[in-house]
Amino acid sequence: MSNIPAGQERKVEFLGGASIDGTPVAYIVVLAAVVAALAFIPFSVVMASGGSFPMSQGVFSLVGWVLGPIAGAVASGIGTLIGVFIAPHTAGVAPVSVYGAIVASFAAGCMVTGDKRRGWWLIPGILAILSSLYYAGRALFINGVSPLWVLLGYLVAWVGILLYLLPTRILFAKWIASKNAGLVALGAFLGTFASFAVSHVAQTAITYHMFNWPEEVWQLLAGLIPIEYLSRCLIGAVIGAGVIVGLRAIGLVKPAHATY
Amino acid sequence: MSEPIAILDKVSYQYPRSSNFVLSNISLEIHKGEFLGIIGPTGAGKTTLCLALNGIVPQFYGGRFFGSIKIKGLDTVDHPISEMAALVGCVFDDPETQLIATSVENEIAFALENLRIPREEILRRIPKVLQAVRLEGMEKKHPVELSGGQKQRLAIAAALAVQPSLLVLDEPTSQLDPVGTQEVFATVRALNKELGMTIVMASHAAEEMAEFADRIVLLSKGEIVALGTPDQVYAEVDLLVNNDLRPPQAATTFYLIQKKEIPVPRIPVQLEQGVNMLPRVLQGCKFNPPETFSEISHHDGEPLLSVQNLTHIYPDGTKAIHDVSLDIFEGEYVLIIGQNGAGKSTLVKHFLNLLKPTEGVVKVGGVDTRELSVSDLARRIGYVAQNPDNQIFNSTVGDEVAFALRNLGYSKEEVELRTVESLKAMGLLEFRSQHPLSLPKGDRARVVIAAILAMKPEIIIFDEPTTGQDYRGAQYILEISRKLHKMGKTVIVITHHLYLMPEFAERVIVMGKGTVLMDAPIRKAYHAVDLLRATYLSPPQAVILSREIATLQLQPIPELLTPEEVASCFHCSNHGRYA
Repeated sequence: MSNIPAGQERKVEFLGGASIDGTPVAYIVVLAAVVAALAFIPFSVVMASGGSFPMSQGVFSLVGWVLGPIAGAVASGIGTLIGVFIAPHTAGVAPVSVYGAIVASFAAGCMVTGDKRRGWWLIPGILAILSSLYYAGRALFINGVSPLWVLLGYLVAWVGILLYLLPTRILFAKWIASKNAGLVALGAFLGTFASFAVSHVAQTAITYHMFNWPEEVWQLLAGLIPIEYLSRCLIGAVIGAGVIVGLRAIGLVKPAHATY
Repeated sequence: MSEPIAILDKVSYQYPRSSNFVLSNISLEIHKGEFLGIIGPTGAGKTTLCLALNGIVPQFYGGRFFGSIKIKGLDTVDHPISEMAALVGCVFDDPETQLIATSVENEIAFALENLRIPREEILRRIPKVLQAVRLEGMEKKHPVELSGGQKQRLAIAAALAVQPSLLVLDEPTSQLDPVGTQEVFATVRALNKELGMTIVMASHAAEEMAEFADRIVLLSKGEIVALGTPDQVYAEVDLLVNNDLRPPQAATTFYLIQKKEIPVPRIPVQLEQGVNMLPRVLQGCKFNPPETFSEISHHDGEPLLSVQNLTHIYPDGTKAIHDVSLDIFEGEYVLIIGQNGAGKSTLVKHFLNLLKPTEGVVKVGGVDTRELSVSDLARRIGYVAQNPDNQIFNSTVGDEVAFALRNLGYSKEEVELRTVESLKAMGLLEFRSQHPLSLPKGDRARVVIAAILAMKPEIIIFDEPTTGQDYRGAQYILEISRKLHKMGKTVIVITHHLYLMPEFAERVIVMGKGTVLMDAPIRKAYHAVDLLRATYLSPPQAVILSREIATLQLQPIPELLTPEEVASCFHCSNHGRYA
């Protein structure tokens, strides 16, 4: 008997009745549960919102790459919403945390290599610029914070945003889609950096409006924020590379707008 | 023949990132009310075929799919899995991974709720399906409280509740003990014969498949190589052996007799057929058994492992072992058998100091295990768990083998020396830098054994090493046990698969209800048929046939164990009598 298929090749797609933006609801539920579970694990203290940031912040970007921008935002949003109730010790300002999760996954999901949705990155990009202008302007011109501490306090975030706005965003997406596990990890590290930076400044615009923290806090943030970014990016790289390599190995049908 | 319920037309399938077709040009009709058995070695495509019947392949896994499968006219590629699930119920091998609810009734209701079946209808169906699988009265029980067989029957009930046209079972008994296996086969048989349910079952249980299936399809490398009634397919002993499948022992026995040019009208595939055929075959030949078989005894000197009046009561009051005494000597190959709950694992855990005796003493090398630490015992006793994957956690084969050595404080040079020695002994040196989980299951078991061997233990315990393995995989692991035995190790194997062990074991300890029911050489133990059956163990068919021959010959014969032994006693006296 020949191994050459005698039957006609069929178009294979996931036809599960429930999906959001081409992503099966089952995938969204699973990743929302992962985000909620990771909300339990606290990392360092974020002075701005007076709580510990949860480990889940390291995987918001991954959720966007795996599920796509819309489904990813839904999964992270739901997971974080559940997380603020079951793990209030990491919740910070709960509505802002949920907003930040949605923005991070959406921004990550907009990191695409092809022509499909190639302009979507402008939405988080513009949001990041407007948010940065708002809170930096408020700090400088209303609260009188020294320009040096404003710059140092959020330098890391702005570098991340710059990487998001530049074509480096596409390069990171290419690495995430690469077959080389090392490049996947590097792409996940830098991709987490860039996409979370968008979320970070989007959240800060709100929290700074609420709390107007003094210059002393800006000085502390200048030292804390790089460490926090490093831990988020490491979480993103380690979990992200593992999950992406694992998903490829088991060969699950990819959601329509997945980056990996 | 009744109308087809499923039509497979030139089905080929390739998993994502795979260059091989796991199914290749499968064309098949499954008829309403039939019991179709799927057999084939590991990698033949049995599970993929089962998953393709409700669209999980290719819809969930992706890949390339050719041809079509239509279930009651619905194409499995064009209709969502949720729609196909209403037509095709699926039950998989491990009952533990299929149950998610907190009560039996909720488990059954889950799929129905997802299909938006009205509440009243769900409440009507639950008692009906529980009755069908004989789990009445257990509605409120938590699934974890059920036995393995009951859990698998609950999984079947949950699939039945959807009222599928076709019930697909993929190796539903491979993880179960003999009682659970009997329960599941009885249930499936009742569903098929009494309710007319169409059944597709993939299984390695040759004896049961020969008895229950209407048709058998033999898959090899994704292709159908035989399709017919069990009498037709299982009688093709050469074909089965060439495909790494184990024929029923009745078939093997008469096939071997036939090969000695003794007329056998047809190869029987069921024990009953074989028993009925014996008088006719015996008429045409002489039956000359050997007078005796030699017995190997290692019972000299001090026992390596000694259990004296051992009793163990768990904190919840369960008396798992009661007054057990036995000695195991250096160089023995011991088989411990008994149904679940007989106390086998509890006994073995005392050898490893994982449990402390409530009463009695366990000595290893003459030293009370209470005076030895777990790490002391790890040097002397190696334990291969049922699922090798549970013992693997390093990222390379080399690290896995070296892990325990490093933790036991050996020097770097000694670790390297022992690791290389052990990898060589298990034929794994070339895989040293590979991830253990990238190897096939049989090889993963070898990794675990290599890690144990590196510690140079005197005793190696295999706990259900053949569960979930196909015949080739089981033989492979048992060959390793034989190799270790030849290296002078004392080997202890716990298994339900009695038919696999005659070539390997010397002594059998039969346990039941926490006591030793019998401790005897393997021939004597396997011929204690009533005792084995009382503890829900099935003696190999060759044993039953040899005892039947003794009855027909009206004289005792030596205790034969295998089809080869039985067949070797037949000598041709009248060629062509039935030709």
